[in-house]
Amino acid sequence: MGELPPFAGSKDTFIEVAHAQLRKHKQGAEGDVFLSQKNPADGRVITALSDGLGSGIKAGVLATLTATMATKFIASDIPIKKAAQIIMNTLPVCKERGISYATFTLVDIEPNSTVRVIEYDNPPYILIRKQTFVEPIKEFTVIERKNKKTAPKKEAVVQYSQYEALPGDRLVFFSDGVTQAGMGSVHYPFGWGYNNVQNYILEKIEKNPEISARDLAKAVVNQALQIDSFKAKDDITCGIIYSRKPRDLLVLTGPPLYPERDADLSRLFASFSGKKIVSGGTTANILARETGKKISVCLKNLDPKIPPESVMEGADLVTEGIITMGSVAEILEQGKYSDSAKVNAAVRVVELFLDSDRILFVVGTKINEAHQDPNMPVELEIRRNIIKKTANLLQEKYLKEVKIQYI
Amino acid sequence: MKKVKVSICTGTACFVMGASEIMMLEDSLPEDLKNSVDIEIDGVSCLEKCGNAQNGKAPFVLVNGEVLSAATISTVIEKIRAIAEE
Repeated sequence: MGELPPFAGSKDTFIEVAHAQLRKHKQGAEGDVFLSQKNPADGRVITALSDGLGSGIKAGVLATLTATMATKFIASDIPIKKAAQIIMNTLPVCKERGISYATFTLVDIEPNSTVRVIEYDNPPYILIRKQTFVEPIKEFTVIERKNKKTAPKKEAVVQYSQYEALPGDRLVFFSDGVTQAGMGSVHYPFGWGYNNVQNYILEKIEKNPEISARDLAKAVVNQALQIDSFKAKDDITCGIIYSRKPRDLLVLTGPPLYPERDADLSRLFASFSGKKIVSGGTTANILARETGKKISVCLKNLDPKIPPESVMEGADLVTEGIITMGSVAEILEQGKYSDSAKVNAAVRVVELFLDSDRILFVVGTKINEAHQDPNMPVELEIRRNIIKKTANLLQEKYLKEVKIQYI
Repeated sequence: MKKVKVSICTGTACFVMGASEIMMLEDSLPEDLKNSVDIEIDGVSCLEKCGNAQNGKAPFVLVNGEVLSAATISTVIEKIRAIAEE
């Protein structure tokens, strides 16, 4: 070991896909749907944002159908226009309005960095390159609907564009809940407006040129909500695709099966250039012993469920192992990291995960027999299983590049 | 004033077996002990005692270097008192 193993199919640029979403005030379900998938083998990324007619669960169904069909069609290389046609002819018809309708923006990023975008009735996407707007040429196509009765009166025009992605590019797209935020208010009688949204995004990037897709999407959505006087008048969704230098994270968890490998662990820890998490008391002890650093446990802001975090020079975070990682997997599964009122060690790990692109887990496989004691009040999972689950979630749900190494 | 250092193991086994409560020790210290002994409480990432059954059961707490097994807030307080009265 010693050297950091390369990430599979890794390049100098990493594609970060993130979105932020708020549902219409008093609605129980989102009417906008954002989906994305990444093929771990070749790195192809397909993303869809769909806004269903109306709001709430009915809109959610229309949007889910649209976004799901769209991503599946693109993934199986069905021509875009054909796909758009099938989607429009498949959508269920709203009983009240008698039409079937859901907008979409589809983004397909090929492994060779060719980006293809198909848009139907969402606000046009914004492409930002070197802090200026770039407008690729768009091709307009009218899509014929089979059933004219249930089609909206307006003709369906699909816009297609294509460009070569460069490192640093940001592709921003959103539902009309963003551009129409605040409509009817004194300050924004016609809503926040496309140009204002554009300027807001540019301002954010000028202030913080490295702003992550996740933070920028959150900022856009929160600004729209503020303009809506904190009661969203429509579903508000913003998706961002950002290609940039990858941020690496190393997670050392568990003691090596053979103590002879302790030194390898510490060498890897010292040579890794990204951020570092040490998860596990014994693991932290090994590193402290090998490197001569001190660990201090913070006994402030205690959480009765999650052991406290510690501080050690060279590590960005030191936590307990099994309980913390179990909670991390749970948070990742539920996707409720922002709602966690209590900032504990597990929430801090999740934050670090989400702010990274490539995560390397180095998992010690030695088992602590005390954890298998049947008198334990809680069942303690085996580390390997928790990490496997976490890695899968990070890869599939959060589109991170993940590697696991056992030691 | 006598000095007493209490180090609580915050490792997995200790935490689930009760160390999470012992970490609140400061709130439960009797006034007379607080006034008569200089007590320092800290956490330790792992004392590495639970792996060997001969050491007894988790949670483990060190009081002035002496290992308490199956510790509770009251056994830790007892131990501090014993040191204070030595």
